[in-house]
Amino acid sequence: MAKLDLLQGTLDLLILKTLALGAQHGWGISQRIQQISENVLRVNQGSLYPALQRLDTAGFIESEWGASENNRQAKFYRLTKKGERQLQDEQAQWARMTLAVRKILETEV
Amino acid sequence: MLRHHELDRGLNAEVRFHIEMETEKNIRLGMSPEDARRLALRSFGPMEKHKEETRDARGISWLENLLADLKYGARALLKHPGYAALGIMTLGLGIGANTAIFSVINGVLLKPLPYEHGNRLVVVQQSRPLAGQPQVGVAIAEYFDYRERAKEVFDGLVEYHQMNFDLINRGEPDRVSTGVVSANFFDLLGIKPIVGRTFVEADDLKGAEAVLVLSHTYWRTKFGGDPGIVGQVFEMNDRPHRVIGVLPNVPHYPQENDVYMPVHACPFRSAAEGNIARQRRAFGALSVFGRLKPGVSPEQAASTVESICHTFVNDKQFAQVYRPETSGFRGTTVEVRDALTTGARDLLLILLGITALVLLIACANVANLTLARMLGRDRELAMRAALGAGRGRLIRQLLTESTLLATVGGLVGITFAWLTIDMLTTFVGRFTSRTGEITLDPVVLVFTLGISVLTGLLFGTLPALGSRVDLVSSLKQGGGQTGDAGSRKRIQGGLIIAQVAVSVVLLVGAGLLLASFYRLQRVETGYRSDGVLSAQIYGNFSRYPTIVEQRRLYLPVLERLQAQPGVNFAAITNAVPLGSGGPGTTRFNIEGRAVDDPERRPTADVRVATPQYFATIGVPVISGRAFNDLDTEESQRVTVINKSMVKYWDGTDPVGSRIELPTPTPPGQPPRTEWYTIVGVVGDVRQFGLARETVAQIYLPLTQSPFGIAGQVLVRTAGDPASFGNVLRNTVRDVDPNQPVEQIQTLDDLRSEALAAPRLTATLLAVFAGLALLVTLAGIGGVIATSVQQRTKEFGLRMALGASRDSVLTMVVRQGLTLVVIGLLVGVAGALAAGRVLSAYLYQTAPRDPVIFAGVAGLFVLAGIIACLIPARRATTVDPLIALRAE
Repeated sequence: MAKLDLLQGTLDLLILKTLALGAQHGWGISQRIQQISENVLRVNQGSLYPALQRLDTAGFIESEWGASENNRQAKFYRLTKKGERQLQDEQAQWARMTLAVRKILETEV
Repeated sequence: MLRHHELDRGLNAEVRFHIEMETEKNIRLGMSPEDARRLALRSFGPMEKHKEETRDARGISWLENLLADLKYGARALLKHPGYAALGIMTLGLGIGANTAIFSVINGVLLKPLPYEHGNRLVVVQQSRPLAGQPQVGVAIAEYFDYRERAKEVFDGLVEYHQMNFDLINRGEPDRVSTGVVSANFFDLLGIKPIVGRTFVEADDLKGAEAVLVLSHTYWRTKFGGDPGIVGQVFEMNDRPHRVIGVLPNVPHYPQENDVYMPVHACPFRSAAEGNIARQRRAFGALSVFGRLKPGVSPEQAASTVESICHTFVNDKQFAQVYRPETSGFRGTTVEVRDALTTGARDLLLILLGITALVLLIACANVANLTLARMLGRDRELAMRAALGAGRGRLIRQLLTESTLLATVGGLVGITFAWLTIDMLTTFVGRFTSRTGEITLDPVVLVFTLGISVLTGLLFGTLPALGSRVDLVSSLKQGGGQTGDAGSRKRIQGGLIIAQVAVSVVLLVGAGLLLASFYRLQRVETGYRSDGVLSAQIYGNFSRYPTIVEQRRLYLPVLERLQAQPGVNFAAITNAVPLGSGGPGTTRFNIEGRAVDDPERRPTADVRVATPQYFATIGVPVISGRAFNDLDTEESQRVTVINKSMVKYWDGTDPVGSRIELPTPTPPGQPPRTEWYTIVGVVGDVRQFGLARETVAQIYLPLTQSPFGIAGQVLVRTAGDPASFGNVLRNTVRDVDPNQPVEQIQTLDDLRSEALAAPRLTATLLAVFAGLALLVTLAGIGGVIATSVQQRTKEFGLRMALGASRDSVLTMVVRQGLTLVVIGLLVGVAGALAAGRVLSAYLYQTAPRDPVIFAGVAGLFVLAGIIACLIPARRATTVDPLIALRAE
C-alpha cells in the first residue's frame, strides 16, 4: 500500500498528539507518526520543521536542547498547557469533521 | 539580529541531527553507510528550501521590519539627493534654532541653581510702591529683625552687599569688587572652598583679624592659581587682610566678585552698625536672602517676612522713618531662581515660540516636498501594494523615511546650535546673570531627538494620509494622475496657507522690532557722543573719605587734562550717560511752596558737574548760564536744572529761584539742608537708557556738591578719543600714582552698547522671519511647479485651442496667489492677536502699526507672484505639441 501524504492542517494535530505522549525531537516525531500509523502516514520533512516552528511561535509547544537516546545534542519539543487545550480543541473538531465526511460518504445512492 | 544567527545555528544542528538519525536507521536496515546517508538526504528533500520555510514560519520581528524600512528609506533618499538635501537643511535649521533656544532655556530657567538646595533659596524684597520705588535695600536693623523673628521658616538668613576697594598687590593698586557677606554665607549656598577655608563666626566678631576669600577667577588671573596664596597678607582699606581660602569655579550669587570679606571687615558696614539704635534705616543697601527650612513653602516664608515687615513699619517709634500711608513700605520674599531670571523669561519664551513656528513652517514645507515626491512614487507604492504590502505597512514605510530625514536634520540642527550657542549666551547675558550653565547637555540632546522624531512623524503623516493608493488606476495610468490627486492638492493648499500665515506673523514681529530699533537708534539723546572718552577714577575712601578730599584728586586731574594738547573740553561728573545705574530720587523743596511730608515732595536725580561738563558732552544751555570757575566752595550755592524739571515752576522762569536739598550728614548728627539758587536750565539728556524718558535732574558744581563719589572723567578730544587713553592714564598717575583708572571707553561705544540688546533681538527675529519667508516661498514655488508639471498636457491643449500664453500664466499665478491671500488674512489676524507679547520690547511703535502690516502684506503678494511666475513660465514656454504628448 502506498504511503499517504498528510492532509493539509492535520500535521499540526498529529504533532500535538505525538507530543502529548511525551517530549520528542523532530526526527522522533516523524518516526513515531510513521510507526503508530503503521507506515501509512508519511511526514514530509519540508513540512515538519516549519510546522514545529509555527507551533512554537504560537506557544503550543516549547523546545529545549538535550541529549538524545544515542547521546547526541537534539532539540526536544514538549507540549505546553496552551498546547494541551489546543490539542483537545483540534481533536474534537477532527472528530466532528470525520464524522460529517463519513455520513456523506455512507449515504446510499 | 544576533538572536537570528543563534536560531539559524540551532536549525542547522537540528537538521544535521535528523539526517544522522535517518542515516543510522538506514544502516540498521542493512545499507552501506554511503547509501544510508544518500537516502537520508534524499528523503529529507531540498534542505535549503525547508530551512527557508522554517525561518519564514518564525515570522519577521518588528525590528527587522524597521531595519528593512530604514535601509529602504535611506536608499530612497539617496536616490533623490536634491529632495533629501533640501529637506535635511530646512529641518536642520528649524530643529537647530529650537535646540539652541531650548539649551538656553534649559540652562537659565529649568536647571536648579548650582548650589546645594538652590531651589530653597529666597531673597527678601522691600519696596515703597506708593512712592514709586520698586526696590528698597534692606537696612541693618531690618535685617536683624528678619533674622531674629523668621527663624522658624529659614535655615539661615544672610546679608550681602558689594563694595569696590583697592587691594594693594605688590605695590600695584588693584580695584577689586568685594562681596561683603555674613560668615555663614558660603555654608548657606553650600559652596566649599577648593583651597583653605571660608568664613566662620569668629571671623565676624568685632576686632577679629580681617580675612579674605578669593574668587576662582581672580585667583587664577592675578595669582596664577598658586595654592600658596592662603596665608598671604594684602593691604586693603589701610589695614592688612589675610587670604584664608579660594572658592571653586561656581557662578556667584547675587553678583560676580573678585574677593569676599566678612561684614565687620567692611569699614562702612561696621561704622553704620554702631548707629542702628539712632538710625533705623542705617546702611539700607543690603541684599538679604535665606534658605527655607525643609518642608517650608516659599509662600509661608513670604507671608512670615511680610508680617515681620508690617510689624516694624507700623511701629509708632519708626513712624517718621517708614511713613507707611504715603510710601506703602512693604517686604516680602521671592524665590532666587525667579528673581535671577525675571528679565529673561518672557524674552526666552517668545523666542521659543518663534523658533517653534519656524519649525512648523519647515515641517509644512518638507511635508509638501514629500507630497510632491509622492507623485513620482505612486507607481512604486502601487506595485508594493499589489505585491501584498498592507496600507499600514506602506504608511509605516513613509513615516520611517520622514523620521529618518528629520533625524539627520536633527544632527544638522545640533551642529547649527553648537555654532550659535556662544552668540546666544552673550545675548541672553544682557537680560540675566544665569548664563553659566548653558550647554548642549544630555537633556538638550534628548529634547532635540524628541522634536526630530516628532517632526518626522508630523510631516510624514500628512503625505501618508494622502497616499490612499488606487491600485488599478495608478498601475494602468503609469503614475501620472492618481485617483486621489484631489485630496493631495487640498492638503498641499492647506499647508501653503498655514506656512504663509505663520510667516506673516513672524515677519510682522520682525518688522515691528526693526522699526522700533530704527526709532531707538535715532532717538534724540540730548548730547553728542562722538569724540568723547570717559574713564572712572573713583577715589579710594581711605585717602579720599569725603567730597572735600575727593576734590583734591579730581580738580588737579581736571586742570591737567584741560591743559593737555588735543583736549577741547574736559569734565568730571558722577555717571556717564547710558552707563549703568538708574536715576536717584532725592526729595527737594521749592522756595515758597515747601511740602512738609518728605514722601510727598517732588523728586529729582542729582548729578555733579564741572564748568565744562555741558560743553564736553554737547548739552545746550537753554537759559541762564552753565557753571564757571567763579562757583567755588566759598561762593553762593548754585545749581543748574534740566528742562524736564522746569515743569515744577508751572510756566514761570525757574532761573533765579531757589531749591532746598538735603545735605548728607555723618551718622548721629541731625539732618541738614542747603538752599541752592538756580542759575541755568540745560537740555534733557537720556541718561539712563535710550528708551527711558528723561527724569527731572539737578546739577550741582563739584566745588559745592555735598554728595561724594564723583570720579567719572569725560574728555572731548580734537582727534580720535580712543587713542587718548594713555594720556589720560598718565595724567591721573601724575596726580596720584596709587589711583586706579578704570573703564576707559568712548561715549560712542557706550551708546552702541545700549543698543546691543534691542539690535540683537531685532536681528534674531529678522533672521528667523527671513528664513520663514524663504522656506515658504520655496514651498509655494514647489507646489506650483508640481501642479504645473501635472497639467502640462492640459496647458498644451488649451494653447493648441487658442488660449494665449498670458492667459495660462494668469491662471497659474491666480491659483498660487489665492493660497497666499488666504494665508495672509489668517496671518494678519494672528499677528494682531500676537502683537501684544512684543509690546514690552517696542519703542514708540504700536504692535498694530499699519505701515508694518501693509508692508508685510505687499511683500508677500509680490514675492508670491514671483514664486508662482517662475515655474509657470516654464510650463507655458513648452511647445503645445510636445506638451500634448507629455507623460
